[in-house]
Amino acid sequence: MARRKKSNLDEGEVEANLIPVMNVMFLLIPALLLAMEVARFAAVNVTPPKFAAQADEKKEEKDKEKPLNLKVFIMEDGYRVSASGQQEGADAGKSADSNKPTIPLAKPGAPLDDYDRYDYAALEAKAAEYKSLFKHETLVTISAENSIPMQALINTMDAMRGSDCKLLLWKQGEAEPPECYFYHAIVEAGAG
Amino acid sequence: MTPEELYQAKKAAKKAARRNKVEEEGKLNITSLMDIVSIIVVYLLKSYGSDPVLIMPTAGQKIPMSKADSPIQDGIPVYISKRSITFNNKKIVQIDENGEIDPAALQAHLIGPLYDAMAEEADKAKQMAANQGKEEWSGRIILVGDQNLKFSTLVDVMYTAGRAEFREYAFCVIQKNAG
Repeated sequence: MARRKKSNLDEGEVEANLIPVMNVMFLLIPALLLAMEVARFAAVNVTPPKFAAQADEKKEEKDKEKPLNLKVFIMEDGYRVSASGQQEGADAGKSADSNKPTIPLAKPGAPLDDYDRYDYAALEAKAAEYKSLFKHETLVTISAENSIPMQALINTMDAMRGSDCKLLLWKQGEAEPPECYFYHAIVEAGAG
Repeated sequence: MTPEELYQAKKAAKKAARRNKVEEEGKLNITSLMDIVSIIVVYLLKSYGSDPVLIMPTAGQKIPMSKADSPIQDGIPVYISKRSITFNNKKIVQIDENGEIDPAALQAHLIGPLYDAMAEEADKAKQMAANQGKEEWSGRIILVGDQNLKFSTLVDVMYTAGRAEFREYAFCVIQKNAG
């Protein structure tokens, strides 16, 4: 019986054709470059006053602790900080003194778009001071004058939250991180 | 035979050998190129934006910087740049050079055209949530503002969103010192 001769194709090494794969890869590169995150976005959660009040009531019932009612008002000439209805640094016998900021500007005379004009370090120190007195309190009401830029508001929220505060790794149910002060911000108009 | 003649003879022999040699087909070795491209693709896949919402700032918009590290949760973005408010890829309201909303569109903190667009979107989202069997619609709005955005404008947008039944707000920021 005659044996069938093996064809040359069976013996030869078959090389994979990489050209179509390369084509796909080269198409993937611009597509992924377009979808790439150049800057990492994050979210600062804020609560409108109405819903915060409801949450606050529930928390109040739970904790049975006198609420701090911490309020920070961003003015063009500094911060006005008040707690439990009493402004820090107000004249004797007065609950508020709108003429004087509690924390004056770090850079007096700087324009409004200079976001470092506010004394964020002093505000953070004040937040730490309040936090040491009210350990379970996390709410702060932030308001500002109409002309205050959004970046100043965000920096104020950062200072109130604490510069070392990392909420990403913190899970609900666990003890809150000690380096986080007031991270539930209520943004409202004209709270001053 | 002189060295010069010997050299010429060797040269002629080499030339003759080259002429007789069958030319091999030049092959492009793309394996190393393939390795490089694969590495680039893997790197790009790793840096691929994984946020549930794709934030596409408008031209000239400078998003505020923050130390916040909370990821962006699913929601509907509203872009508030220095010159306009954009919702659902549509420019809804113009903002003047002083950062004030067009007075014709504003009535007691309510931005009329923005309210209409938001209310329509809220209805759609509620309907979709009901179809999917979800008990409650989250009503989350992501405010993508500008560093220089005035607080009064921000409050007006928040008030309008509140009237359109959006209950959760988040400011979109760029993470400072993101690792």
